[in-house]
Amino acid sequence: MRNQSKFSKLISIEGVVILTAFVLMVIFFSLKADSFLIPDSIRYYINEAVPIFIIIVGLTFVIIAGGIDLSIGSVLGLSAGTSLMVSMWGWPFWVAVIVGVSTGLAFGLLNAVIITIFKVNDFIVTLGTLYIAAGSLTVLTDKVQLTGTEDASFQRISDLSFLGLTSSIWIAIVIIVVFELVLLKSPFGRRIFATGIGEVPALISGINTQRTKFVAYLISGGLAGFGGVLLASHLNSVQSGLAGGYELTAIASAVLGGISLAGGRGSVWRAIVGALFLTTLNQGLLLMGIDPLIFQIVTGLCILIGVIVDRGVYKFTLTFSTQTREVNSRSRDGEVVSS
Amino acid sequence: MTPNSAVDNSSNSLRNRVLQDPSFGIVSLLITVIIAMTILEPSFATSGNVTNIINAMMTVSFLAIGMTVVLIAGGLDLSVGSTMAVTAGVAGKFIAYGMPMGVAFMWSLAIGVGIGLINGLLITKLGIPDFIATLAMLGIGQGVILFWTQGVPILGYMNDAYYYIGGLEKIVGPISVPMIVVVVISVVMAIVLKRTKFGLELYAVGSSPISARNAGVNTHAIKISAYAISGLFAAVAGIHIAGRTTTIPPLIGKGYEISAIAAAVIGGASLLGGKGRIIGALIGALTLTLTRNIINLIGIESSWQAIVTGSVLIAAVLANRASAGFSRKRLRRMNT
Repeated sequence: MRNQSKFSKLISIEGVVILTAFVLMVIFFSLKADSFLIPDSIRYYINEAVPIFIIIVGLTFVIIAGGIDLSIGSVLGLSAGTSLMVSMWGWPFWVAVIVGVSTGLAFGLLNAVIITIFKVNDFIVTLGTLYIAAGSLTVLTDKVQLTGTEDASFQRISDLSFLGLTSSIWIAIVIIVVFELVLLKSPFGRRIFATGIGEVPALISGINTQRTKFVAYLISGGLAGFGGVLLASHLNSVQSGLAGGYELTAIASAVLGGISLAGGRGSVWRAIVGALFLTTLNQGLLLMGIDPLIFQIVTGLCILIGVIVDRGVYKFTLTFSTQTREVNSRSRDGEVVSS
Repeated sequence: MTPNSAVDNSSNSLRNRVLQDPSFGIVSLLITVIIAMTILEPSFATSGNVTNIINAMMTVSFLAIGMTVVLIAGGLDLSVGSTMAVTAGVAGKFIAYGMPMGVAFMWSLAIGVGIGLINGLLITKLGIPDFIATLAMLGIGQGVILFWTQGVPILGYMNDAYYYIGGLEKIVGPISVPMIVVVVISVVMAIVLKRTKFGLELYAVGSSPISARNAGVNTHAIKISAYAISGLFAAVAGIHIAGRTTTIPPLIGKGYEISAIAAAVIGGASLLGGKGRIIGALIGALTLTLTRNIINLIGIESSWQAIVTGSVLIAAVLANRASAGFSRKRLRRMNT
């Protein structure tokens, strides 16, 4: 009995499951693929994944507040297009950054207004804006050839090297740390958690839940815009369909990191570990010579496995680590029926 | 009560029934738009264009009927587009390998139902939120068809019979096979929804799963069947679209889930469950197809299609909400 409670205590520490899985996977791949642990290759694929890390931060806010944002992927693509276009017109790099971030903010605002003011299902609204943003990028690339800017300072935003890492990795680290602190230490972060745990209790205790959600969608849109700027600066060319499907990867990462899609549970670093897990898995499979076309299947399966494992662990810790076993099992049952 | 007042009453109720029909607004809008386009745009009412509209409408209709069934049961199926692509791929590849057509179609339909069953089991037995389970299935399905075809469009499966199935060859006059299939499926599903115990249970599960369960309905079985029906119709759509396009690009199903949801919602289905009609799904499919056709005719490039579809979806959901609020207000006024 004592043993079991120790094990359940360990497993109930946030993020232990995904970290263990991550470490095991790294060990597996380093034995299987020789070039897996070369620092250059690690730096390379992490650098490629930076835009995804950045949109996951925003998505984490939205999911913890009890919402969902599917539009982030194509908003990121569109922002990459607009910022590169402005840079190609000869504007200085900071104007391009502002334009890219504003594009993201505009879509965040659109989502936020329709979801919180008109009270429409968040999932459908962001699916609609996903197609609007993706379509806008198609129209934009039809009109303008976004083949690259001559402005070197725009390209330097992402590719400057500092202490062995590129500037986009440093920017991602700063964003992750700042937003994690905001989420965990600031009153706004506590309002996000309260809104996600239960809108009615949060409302009763004086939290403006709709405004909290509104800001969460704005953050998600703004970060998607900034991620787009980094991607445009890194690739220096934008085609139609860029970053389509990133939302699938982002949701999979959040789910793998144990962020509850019901809201109210999670943190930024766990979602990032989820993203590291997914990108490392893809890289490892690639180095083992497996067809990259299979990655989408892997991502989809990871979403399912992540949700199932998370529910299992949550149920397990509820049943074994607390004294109020029957109360919990009853409340879980009610939840299953209502969902 | 005099006979006169009874007659008065019944004519009043007929008028009320037309006016209070949930699709009254969208149908009158459609009629206005069709009349306006016929007058303003000479190429709109030509037989070629009408055939085009009807042919393009079929694919969305199949998906929208399945989506309506799932929405009535209180779920949501995002995987329809990718299921359609996979089943189209199965039909095309198997026929290209030399399998008899009927057997290939059976495989297609079985795989569609299988994907639907998996969705339903994931959602009910493992308690995964419906949109996450079907979103994952969307990714998996798309990955499977990409991996299987290696990104190369599927060719070499078209034969004489397939031209009829895709609606490119007509049977009699303007009547084509897909039209007959849509009508048959619609009539059957409308009867199932309105006249059978299963239909009643679907609405019950969607309106309130807890009360339905307390009333003895097997909510899990009902939901699983709803997803299986959606998978089946996605496979029908897959078989049809393979014939309509004569090649199957791997990403053929991309974006169809949003069209299907938009069509169902325009037709009066609610994302909260418990509402929706088959005729509504058809009206929604017609609305979407007409919108796209008109965009093409008035000379807007086809690259705008995604933007328009996304906007139509959001507008439909907003209108749905507004009309629900409106009828609630009217009900309150009538009660007081």
